[in-house]
Amino acid sequence: MKKHRSITICTGKVALLAGLALALGGCASPGERPDADLQSAESALQQAVAADARQYEPVLLNDAQNKVADAKNLIEKEEYQNAERLLQQASVDAQLAGARAETAKARQAVEEINQNIEALRQRINQSQ
Amino acid sequence: MKQRHVTLGLAIGLSVLMTGCASTPQQNAKVEEARASYDRVKNDPAVARSGDTQLRSARDQLNRAESLLKDGADNNRIEHAAYMALRHAQIASQQGERAELQTQIESAEDRRRALMLAEQTGEAEAARREAEALRQRMAELQAEQTDRGMVLTLGDVLFDLNQADLKPAGEQTVGRLAQFMREYENRRVRIEGYTDSTGADSYNQQLSERRAESVRNALVNQGISSRRVESKGYGEQYPVAGNDSSSGRQQNRRVEIVISDKDGNIDTRED
Repeated sequence: MKKHRSITICTGKVALLAGLALALGGCASPGERPDADLQSAESALQQAVAADARQYEPVLLNDAQNKVADAKNLIEKEEYQNAERLLQQASVDAQLAGARAETAKARQAVEEINQNIEALRQRINQSQ
Repeated sequence: MKQRHVTLGLAIGLSVLMTGCASTPQQNAKVEEARASYDRVKNDPAVARSGDTQLRSARDQLNRAESLLKDGADNNRIEHAAYMALRHAQIASQQGERAELQTQIESAEDRRRALMLAEQTGEAEAARREAEALRQRMAELQAEQTDRGMVLTLGDVLFDLNQADLKPAGEQTVGRLAQFMREYENRRVRIEGYTDSTGADSYNQQLSERRAESVRNALVNQGISSRRVESKGYGEQYPVAGNDSSSGRQQNRRVEIVISDKDGNIDTRED
C-alpha cells in the first residue's frame, strides 16, 4: 500500500483528490462508510489479477489499485462520498482490465490454433 | 423537396430558439464520450448476447449522467456517472469481443479435430494400400506365407539335373525377385538349397550349397547387394515329402528363398 501511495504522489492524484474534497466533501454530508463498495472493488481487483491483468493490462490495473488505496485514505478522513466514487471507478477499471486480459488471451488462443491448423494442413498436403 | 427542407430547417431553428430561452443546451465532453461508446456497442449482437448486464449498467449510468447534466447538477457527479457509463460500455464491448473469439476458437477446434482425423485416416489408408501392394507383389512372386515368413520355392525343374546352373525359367523367377528387392529396399533374403536322399550325403550337401550359391549369384548379377543375400545348403535335411517316391524326391530337390520382414530380419533354421 505504501508503494501505491508513493505512485499516487508522483502522478499528482493527491492534488486532484484535494480538489475533489474541497469541491464536494466540504459541503456534502459525510454519508455512510462505503464498505460494500470497498469490498466489491477489492474483489474486482482480485478477479482482474486472476485473469492475468497484471500481464496484459498493467497500467489500468495499477490505476484501479491506486484508486482503492486513495479511497482508503479518504475513508480514514471520513470523506465517504468521494471514497465511494473512487471505489466504484476502481471496480469498473479492474473489471475492464480483467475483460481486456481475457480478450487478449482469447485472441492469442485463436492465433495459436490457426497456426496449428495450418501446420496440420501442410503436413497432410505433403504426405499426399 | 428543397422547400420542405427549408421549412424543416425553420421549424428546427425556431424550436432551438424557444428552448434556448428556457435553458441553454448543456454539453459535457465526458458525457458525450460515454454516449458515443455506448452507441457503438448497443446494437452489437455479440454484446447483446454476452455483455448484456454491463450494457444495461452503461445505459443506466448514461441516462443518469444526461439527466444530471440537464438538471445542471454538480460536474463531479455528472462526470462520475459518465465515467461509469463509459467503463461499462467498454467492458460490454470486451465481453462481446471475447465471446466472438470464443466462437472462433470452438469452430477452429472442430476444424482441427476434423483435420487430425483426416490425417489419421490418410495414414491408415496409405498403410493399407502399401500392405495391399506388398501382398500383390508376393502373390506375383508366388511366395507362400509360412511360419518363417514369405517363402519362394524354386523347384527342381528350374535346375539342370545334378547341376547347379539355373535354367532360363529359373533366371526369370530370380529376375522377378530382384525387381521386388529393388522396390522394397529393406528386405533381405536367405537362399537355402535342399536335395533328396539319393546319393552320398556329402555330394548332396555340396549340390545344395552350389544351387543356393548359384541363385545368390544370379541375384547379385541383377544388381542386388550381396549383403542383402545369404545362402546356405542343407543337403538332405528338412525334406518336404517322402523320399520313397520319385515325385516326393522331386519335391525335396528345391531351393527355398526366405524373404525377410520389413526390417530385414529372417528366421533361420538353426533357431
